[in-house]
Amino acid sequence: MSSHPDLSRRAFFTALPAVTAGLAVPAQAAEDSKPHWSMLVDTRRCIACQACTMACSMENASPEGEFRTVVATYAVSTQEGKTGLAVLPRLCNHCEQPPCIPVCPVGATFKREDGIVLVDGERCVGCAYCVQACPYDARFVNHHTGKADKCTFCSHRVEAGLLPACVETCVGGARIFGDVNDPQSDISQRLKAAEGKTRVLKPEAGTNPHVFYIGLDDQLSGRVDGVSAADMMWRPGHQGG
Amino acid sequence: MNHPVEILGFAREAAWLPWAVQYFFLIGISTAAFFLSLPGLVWRLPAWQGIGRRALLAALVCGLTAPVALLADLHQPGRFLNFYLHPNLGSWMAWGSFFIPLYLIGLLLYAWLCLRPQLAALAERGGQLSALYRRLAYGGHDSPGAIRAAAVVGALGALLILLYTGMEVMVVEARPLWHTPLLPLLFAVSAVSGGLGMVGLFEALIGQGAAAPLINRWQERSQWLTLGLLAAWLLLAVSGLAASPADALAAMRGSLGWLLSAAWLLGTTALTLWLARSRRDVLLWPALLALHGAWLVRWMVFMGGQNMPKMGASTHIYALSLSPDSVLGIVGMAGLCLTVYIILTSIIPWDDRAEA
Ligand code: SF4
Ligand code: SF4
Repeated sequence: MSSHPDLSRRAFFTALPAVTAGLAVPAQAAEDSKPHWSMLVDTRRCIACQACTMACSMENASPEGEFRTVVATYAVSTQEGKTGLAVLPRLCNHCEQPPCIPVCPVGATFKREDGIVLVDGERCVGCAYCVQACPYDARFVNHHTGKADKCTFCSHRVEAGLLPACVETCVGGARIFGDVNDPQSDISQRLKAAEGKTRVLKPEAGTNPHVFYIGLDDQLSGRVDGVSAADMMWRPGHQGG
Repeated sequence: MNHPVEILGFAREAAWLPWAVQYFFLIGISTAAFFLSLPGLVWRLPAWQGIGRRALLAALVCGLTAPVALLADLHQPGRFLNFYLHPNLGSWMAWGSFFIPLYLIGLLLYAWLCLRPQLAALAERGGQLSALYRRLAYGGHDSPGAIRAAAVVGALGALLILLYTGMEVMVVEARPLWHTPLLPLLFAVSAVSGGLGMVGLFEALIGQGAAAPLINRWQERSQWLTLGLLAAWLLLAVSGLAASPADALAAMRGSLGWLLSAAWLLGTTALTLWLARSRRDVLLWPALLALHGAWLVRWMVFMGGQNMPKMGASTHIYALSLSPDSVLGIVGMAGLCLTVYIILTSIIPWDDRAEA
């Protein structure tokens, strides 16, 4: 098997001397098993700067107003009246049991052996059934292509030995990407260290997500019973200007 | 505990546009009208013969136009052949792509067999189109056996359509408003109300209104059933016996839009029921109200269901606009139905005189 990147952004920087010396491969996927790409999001490190949102949009040329990854941001108040910021970086969870796949009438959406869920753009008829079936609102119909679109874990970059754009750019090092089949990988180590403290979104949906969270606020893991400030805000294009 | 305030939320816009509402509305009405034509045209029950003809017309008008709305809802309509080249038989939508042609073939065959004697009679009358009528009549025989066989194909197709349209939406667990076994039943029952409404409308336009009491009796039953299903859903939601209806109700809570829509739906359903029950001879108003109800149910399910956020607190409320996907599309489809209606009624008389 060829070498795969398996590094968080932090690990990447730790390994910077190695990068400058040669290839950016500080940690190799285990030779005897195929990689299974996953992401760990440490919300405690996220500062809601949306650098990942922008990097993803640039990397994947997302149409205006359509995002493959976002960082939803909340003001959460405790009973004592203290208010703080809570964040939820969201993307496709590359679920093990993805409800988006069985509904696709033409088999255009599929899961690769390495765990990445993709859309075959040649086959997709743009029926948006998968958009409806995804419990995480991870999918959308791309206005430019008329096809289903979503986070691909930047598979084109991963295949070239690079990190997903959002991981690469994350200011706080909140996104850790790697091979969970490799016990030595940074993500495996961190998942092990955080055992019992990691969560996934909507576990009750039975989708078995492969994006894990540390520090996830339970209130935010699905539909949020709260107020949206969106309608109170000025939005270019809607209100003019 | 205080509710969080979403400072920065990302709501997705509706991916199924009003085209979906129109497709489900038209195909539901077509299948229901097809069934309503059977007592008159297959079993030849005298009281149903006029209704049978108007119902066949309604089935044709709605059945021929519905697939246009469906294709328009694909964001890549030119690729529809992929449904047949790469079907994923685990998907209800894939099955739908086979059920639609089955139903339409059955319906067209059935319509042609039913109309053959009339086409022959029209050919006999002479005139510019007599050669065309003669060709279409293909002998002009009345073949009850063949009509029955075509009706079986059409009925199978219609049942499968009602099944798949309900199941396709019901299986979407991610949308709590959709994920209930009551949904296919609500779609089927409201399709029958809409079908009776369309037949009533055509009866008012073309017939002599003699069938009004019969249509209204059935309309009353289907409105009772609609109310029963809505009440059952509410019971499941309020009691928490079923998770999805309870989730959907929680998402609606506090929304004035939902409150008004629900009140409007219940009010107009009750009004349709009252009219059909107490004004047996009136055709037009219960018919129009029933059509409105069948449309409203689908609008609330599709457009309302997609408004409910899956994640976060933000909703992307669908707003009608003057775009081809929105109001222009709806007006365009209505125009297409009218065009098919005009073509069919111009070449074949569907009134009671033609029956005699
Ligand atoms: S998050 Fe949604 S789009 Fe991604 S794999 Fe899961 S169900 Fe499919
Ligand atoms: S939009 Fe494309 S990928 Fe999604 S279900 Fe339809 S055909 Fe499949």
